[in-house]
Amino acid sequence: MRRTGSLRPRGRGKRGRLRGSPLVRLRVGFVLIAMVLSVFSARLVQLQGIDPKSYAQMAADEGTVDVVLPATRGDILDRNGEPLADSVDGLMVVADPLMTADRAPEIATFLSKRLDVDYFATLERLRVEDSRYQYIARQVPATLATDVVDAADALGYEGLWTQRDPVRSYPGRDVAANLVGFLGTPRNDGAARALAGLEDTFNGYLAGTDGEARYEVGAGNRIPLGDNTVTEAVDGDDLTTTIDRDLQWYAQRVLRQTVLGARGDSGHAVIMDSRTGELLTVADYPTYDASDPYASAANDGLYKSAALTDVYEPGSVEKVLTLSSLIDAGKVNSRTRFRVPGVLPRQDRPIHDYWEHGLINLTLAGIVAKSSNIGTVLAADEFRRGQLRNYLTGFGLGHRTDIGVGGETKGLLPSGELWTDQTEDRIAFGQGLSVNAVQMAAAVNTIANGGVRIDPSLVHGSALTDDGAEVGTDHVDERRVISEDAAWQMTQMMERVIDPEAGVAPGAAVPGYRVAGKTGTAQRVGPECKCYDGSFTVSFAGFAPADDPRFTIYVVVHNPRNGGGGGSVAGPAFSKLMSYTLRRYGVPPTGSHPSRLPVEW
Amino acid sequence: MSSSTAPQLRSRLPRLAEAAVERARLTVVPRRRTRAPRIPFVTLVSLLLLGGVVGLLLFNTSMQQASFAATALEEQATNLSAREQTLQMELERLRDPQRVAEAAKRQGLVIPLAPAFLDLGTGKVTGSPAPATAEGDTRITAPPPTRPPELDPDPIRLKTRGGSAHTLDGVGTQQDRDGKPRLGQRDQGRDNHRPR
Repeated sequence: MRRTGSLRPRGRGKRGRLRGSPLVRLRVGFVLIAMVLSVFSARLVQLQGIDPKSYAQMAADEGTVDVVLPATRGDILDRNGEPLADSVDGLMVVADPLMTADRAPEIATFLSKRLDVDYFATLERLRVEDSRYQYIARQVPATLATDVVDAADALGYEGLWTQRDPVRSYPGRDVAANLVGFLGTPRNDGAARALAGLEDTFNGYLAGTDGEARYEVGAGNRIPLGDNTVTEAVDGDDLTTTIDRDLQWYAQRVLRQTVLGARGDSGHAVIMDSRTGELLTVADYPTYDASDPYASAANDGLYKSAALTDVYEPGSVEKVLTLSSLIDAGKVNSRTRFRVPGVLPRQDRPIHDYWEHGLINLTLAGIVAKSSNIGTVLAADEFRRGQLRNYLTGFGLGHRTDIGVGGETKGLLPSGELWTDQTEDRIAFGQGLSVNAVQMAAAVNTIANGGVRIDPSLVHGSALTDDGAEVGTDHVDERRVISEDAAWQMTQMMERVIDPEAGVAPGAAVPGYRVAGKTGTAQRVGPECKCYDGSFTVSFAGFAPADDPRFTIYVVVHNPRNGGGGGSVAGPAFSKLMSYTLRRYGVPPTGSHPSRLPVEW
Repeated sequence: MSSSTAPQLRSRLPRLAEAAVERARLTVVPRRRTRAPRIPFVTLVSLLLLGGVVGLLLFNTSMQQASFAATALEEQATNLSAREQTLQMELERLRDPQRVAEAAKRQGLVIPLAPAFLDLGTGKVTGSPAPATAEGDTRITAPPPTRPPELDPDPIRLKTRGGSAHTLDGVGTQQDRDGKPRLGQRDQGRDNHRPR
């Protein structure tokens, strides 16, 4: 007790010395607290006093996401609503090589199995140095891409994610590819890259406007009551064409068979509704597969609508326009008699017929049925100066049809000083002027439509091109070019062309129907020498039923090498297409008897 | 005021009532301090506070819950619409006219060339019905690619002593494609290259 008692004061004394007096302790404590507080307040002044907004911004940005709400690109539809081009949500699979490099072979094996990508190319991409962003596959259907990335996550492969990459699909593949065109690989932000055809001409109309959403997220979920602004996307408009997909498909197959069968270079087939001018089919051969446009290097020159962009000389089909104009001008009628010599000497060179003959007596119907150049030139001599050109302009030659396809040619109709007597002679039977196939189909359709030319149209309703033009069936003009009587006389003469005895194209007949048509075999300007190189363009234009026309069909084959002419090459193709079209649209035969106009006298 | 009127009043009153007046005089009484019970009030305020906090918490939680649900549903909607589009694409692929035509052709169907109509009311047939034959049929598939001449040289013919020709090349010349046309009646001669 004493001991302890004696020890205690000593120990207390030692501690007391260590702690110092309470006053000193208090002061030291105050100083410490003041120092800490002043650090805090300095920081407070720094945060709140100096540029507080940027810190607030940084805090907001931490949790705010900006999302592009993609506008869906409008579909391109046929007249029955079948899609020629439609949009599908797609994703691209992207890799971060920094994370994938270690397990690159495994991941590459996995991806090449699941995504149909090349193993070695993928392996290389997964190992690219100094990169954190490499495409693995683009335009993958969304379900597939998410499945693959989820499966990769499950297997423990890190560094793969997906990003928006819309897919444009062309379910018909080569059907109407010449018209529809295609979209190239989208830009990195997912915007479409229109490369050809309607996709290009109506890009703005189809594209729509992307929307935008901005909101705060926490752990992947939207924070309720947080900042939230949404601008809805405006989807693109659908473009409805007047094309009939099934008919277009059939026409493309028939055309391919025809061109290949004649060993030709190329060809066009145009099917038009005679009453409305709507184009049911605009087929070109060769063409390409819009869903795989880069399949072949030979596809390069094909991304166009050759029936609209390419010019050629129409040949004898044009006689229909010359002679119907003559009838309309009151110079001749279908029974007017002509003495047709074997050769007709003209200013610069003699004119021949395709078959050898002496002096023969043909009526105007006979001139059409036999396709006599000499007869046509003799008849066309009745024209006053400039009259033929006016009529041809009336038929729409030398002017674009402006149906909404880019790069259309307006053809070539000589004017002014270039229109000499010699030129007029040749133009009378379809040489020395150039047309595109749709232009010519619309011109022949004028006869079918009772002398009233109706603008051809490709777009149903109305749509705005990127050039600012409104096109479509709502903007179709009609104008009378020749009288109804002249058109009817021409129709009867054209019926004689199909006649097995009187005419030159019995192959174009459609059993049971009255068909009116005209063959054409024109000297062709070769691509190399830019002159008549001995090759031909053969064609057949016609309509049926002759006494109540519903469809006008025009088939053209360039440079057939089997020696065939318009009647033997294009005629059977016309017959196939016409019978298919009449059956498809349920047009029964009219039951009347075909024209028996005399062809000789 | 009262101090000035009170003596007047008193003076006017009869002396008799003086005692009663004296009795009725107001006197200051000590204030009674009443203490309201504190417990109910405190309880009420605490309950309100607690209710408010818990309610707010519940409200917030339910909003969070809704946000989770929204995210999940959005994802589901995206997946389903992607699925729908994939199926739609599949459907389009199956409805491709080329595929349908090939399937029909495999079953032996051909496209007829002569349309004919049967009036169901009268039984009258218009047009000239004829059985469709495979001859006039259209080839619907692309021709096979032709082999380049380097790979398809002309057969080497050797004359043996007996005079008969033998082909070394076992394959022989290329078969004519079935798309090759049969040349019909030629309406127009070909020897004179003139426009017609």
